[in-house]
Amino acid sequence: MSRSRILSRALGVAWLTLILLALVTTVAQAAPLGPKTPIKHVIVLMQEGHSFDNYFGTYPGADGIPADTCIPINPSDPKENSCIKPFRLGERPVENLNPGETMFKAQYNNGQMNGFVYALRQRDKNGALSMGYYDEQDLPYYWNIADEYVLFDRYFSSTTSDGVNSRMFWISGVAAAPNNRIPKQGFGDLPTIFDRLEQRGISWKFYVQNYDPKQNYRAITKDGVPPQLTRVPLLAFDRFIDNPQLSSKIADLDQYYEDLRNNTLPEVVYIASSSGSERAPSNIQSGPLLVRSMVNALMQSSAWSSSAFLITYDGWGGWYDHVAPPMVDDHGYGFRVPAMLISPYARRGYIDHTLLDHTSILKFIQQNYDLPALSTRDAQATSLISGFDFAQAPREAKIISIERTIKPYVEPRRDVIYLCYSAIFFIAGSIVAWAIFSSNTRSQTSNLIQTQPSQDGLS
Amino acid sequence: MNHVRPSVRRNPIYQALRVRWLSITTLDETASYILIGLILTVGLVLRLWTINALGYNSDETVYAGQAASIAGVPVIKEMFPIFRAHPLIFPFLLSLGFRMVFNDLLGRLLVVAFGIATIYLTYHLGTLLYNRRIGLLAALMLALMPYHIIVTRQVLLDGPMVCFAILALYLVTRFAVTQHSPWLWAAGAAMGLTFLTKETGIVLMGGIYVFLALSPSIQVRIRDLIISIACMGLVILPHPIAISLAGTSKTAGQYLLWQVFRRPNHTWDFYPTTVPTAIGPLVIIVALLGLWLLWRQRSWRETLLIGWIATPVIFFQLWPVKGFQYLLPIAPVVAILAARMVFSWSPERASARLREIWQGWGRGLLATLLILSLLIPGWVAVQSTGTDSFIAGAGGIAGGRETGLWIRDNVPQSAKFITIGPSMANIIQFYGRRRSYGLSVSTNPLHRNPVYVPIENPDRVIRSGEIQYIVYDTFSAGRSPAFAELLMKYVRRFQGHVVHTESITVTNADGSTMSKPVIVIYEVRP
Repeated sequence: MSRSRILSRALGVAWLTLILLALVTTVAQAAPLGPKTPIKHVIVLMQEGHSFDNYFGTYPGADGIPADTCIPINPSDPKENSCIKPFRLGERPVENLNPGETMFKAQYNNGQMNGFVYALRQRDKNGALSMGYYDEQDLPYYWNIADEYVLFDRYFSSTTSDGVNSRMFWISGVAAAPNNRIPKQGFGDLPTIFDRLEQRGISWKFYVQNYDPKQNYRAITKDGVPPQLTRVPLLAFDRFIDNPQLSSKIADLDQYYEDLRNNTLPEVVYIASSSGSERAPSNIQSGPLLVRSMVNALMQSSAWSSSAFLITYDGWGGWYDHVAPPMVDDHGYGFRVPAMLISPYARRGYIDHTLLDHTSILKFIQQNYDLPALSTRDAQATSLISGFDFAQAPREAKIISIERTIKPYVEPRRDVIYLCYSAIFFIAGSIVAWAIFSSNTRSQTSNLIQTQPSQDGLS
Repeated sequence: MNHVRPSVRRNPIYQALRVRWLSITTLDETASYILIGLILTVGLVLRLWTINALGYNSDETVYAGQAASIAGVPVIKEMFPIFRAHPLIFPFLLSLGFRMVFNDLLGRLLVVAFGIATIYLTYHLGTLLYNRRIGLLAALMLALMPYHIIVTRQVLLDGPMVCFAILALYLVTRFAVTQHSPWLWAAGAAMGLTFLTKETGIVLMGGIYVFLALSPSIQVRIRDLIISIACMGLVILPHPIAISLAGTSKTAGQYLLWQVFRRPNHTWDFYPTTVPTAIGPLVIIVALLGLWLLWRQRSWRETLLIGWIATPVIFFQLWPVKGFQYLLPIAPVVAILAARMVFSWSPERASARLREIWQGWGRGLLATLLILSLLIPGWVAVQSTGTDSFIAGAGGIAGGRETGLWIRDNVPQSAKFITIGPSMANIIQFYGRRRSYGLSVSTNPLHRNPVYVPIENPDRVIRSGEIQYIVYDTFSAGRSPAFAELLMKYVRRFQGHVVHTESITVTNADGSTMSKPVIVIYEVRP
């Protein structure tokens, strides 16, 4: 065999090896690896506009409203001594507090956390309103969730501004909207968690309540931005609008129920509400009703045993919260927002004090499916994993009550019942036994009377 | 025996067999024990045959649920209040078993035990009133009687109640026979047990009163009557003490009031059309014939038996609430009267040849006919063929237990159900351990059983997510078509979709079989 022939054969073998290696690597990258935890369905619902203290400020054991809280009407005026104490809102009508970056700064007041009333007053609003809170009478369902599953009390909104950037952190780990506004040209090629999932063949869907596909960034006019767009920033990405494979994964919320019924719930699910978003001035009861419907449907499905359902809020809504958020970068954190985790692996009645924000959701998904980080924020974020206990056996589904005060079951005095009814048998038995005994005695006596004369010979 | 050849008659084996046969036909004590043992065995086999093939019906779940509550069985104890309806003798006894093992078979076995005891007491009652032959035949008829078989295969209070009632009747009879006062006192105690098994047993006191009032030959001192009633009171007394000290609800008293004033649940012809068939038409005819033909031989015995039958029949015919099993106390007595006709009557005015035929094989033929007339329907009654309709108290519900167990395994804890009526709701609560509400339960407290919780606004509770499932069943739909239609309206309105179907196999007119859905569970969402 000539040298050149040997060389050409060697090159051929090497070439084939390289091809095979490339193929194996590609297949390995494309093939979805199973989740690293027992959680096979991560479901995240983003509600709107409430601070932690506004919903759970009086929840026992949580980092709630301090007892001596009284926020000054004008913190910059040392002569002004008036202050507003937190009060229960109950069914009192509320208005949209129009939160934004400016309001955040005024309320945050360089970390003094005393500008909540003043910030609203500056906008000719009722400043006292921001000090209102809801409690277990108003939010029995959410409080019951907290009792049964996990409540995070150090979960912060990712940005100081309520709105689209908060949602951008949720899907991409960055504040990609300048001035908290969706760019006219959309978000271009900005990578999102859904791109990462798509690349790895991990199923996902973005369910939208009252979904209208036409309400995307191309529908932005001078008059304003379609409200759906703020809630679903994916509709500001050309590829998620035009690529049928991707756009089909943004679906109406009804599809969530269908997918649960058909056992086709994707592995990662994002949900944006609209009429049930709880944002003031809408009735907050619409939120728990929607959440209950979704959680019940999950519990009634086969997906429950391997699922995690997180409920959180995009921003604080202008409401009072007493914890000064850490400033990790130019964008935030924002104030704390409520966050609850429901899962068969969730700790029971656990208040998790881990520092979290919306990118913690990304972090958990990345950990679970072994995905790379999207940004510095999610790379440095803490995962939601502290809310789980994977050592425990998965908890059975249990419908969470919408009533806070369930009439407790009163154990009857069983000993009394057993004693009384044993006495019944004892009394009845004694009377019958007496009848038998006395009858036998009488029979013997009469026999004796009958036999005695013959014995005596006196018949 | 004249037809037997002399050579055979001399055979020692033949002679031994003849002695044994004679001892049976003359019914000495040993033979009687053998025969009653056989009768009880037959009765036991019929009552145990495929006894647990079908799950509990609604009433059975209530009584077993009470027993489970007394025993403290988790979850069920919160759904079935202890003092729900009727006193607690039977649930108390069943709870003792439930403390060791909890299953639905146990309750039925306990009722079977009471049923067998009733057959045995009937034998003794017939023997005491007349003779062993009558006692044995009456016991055999009761053992084979569909009415008694059906009721004593179910966890109902009537089987145990009749057992205590027949004990009371036996004790009254012993008093009448012996004039020994303590038997009357003991009868009072037994009536106390009867009452504490089911309040309606007190009606039978009327029968005893009729007997004592209309039988001048039976001398009863007022003092003995008072002591007897005091004995009954003494036995009953611990029950109100238990109610007042056990720390439970006032439901028991409310239930009694509701029973008194509730609307009729059946038409007047309910008993005439259901009970005679179940007792056995031939048995009733022969019993009546015996009363007519033996009228001249009547004594306090017949007064006692007729009074015992007439009182509950008249009372429950007039009482607006009717139940298939309510007339069970008359069954043993009817059997005794029929047996009396067979063995006590003789065609005195007929020719000697006819008398010889009657006494030779006529009696045997009538007895055989009576037995066969009960054996066949009795056997049919214990076959576990599920149907898609039912009479309360007449049997189990096909598919009910299976539905409940499916719910227990596949439905989230604390999930809530709406059913057409409270019957299926009870079954779901017992087997499925999930709270269930009957749509037909009236919101008007005057028109509902106080232990049932109505749904004030079904639309609202489904809309708010408080109710997650709706159950349609053909049994309840047959009884309440209007509520069945209303239920299906909610299914359609709230996008109900089928999550489980329970079917039974039914036979068509042409003999072919098909699977028919009888219970369907829909998942609904706001």
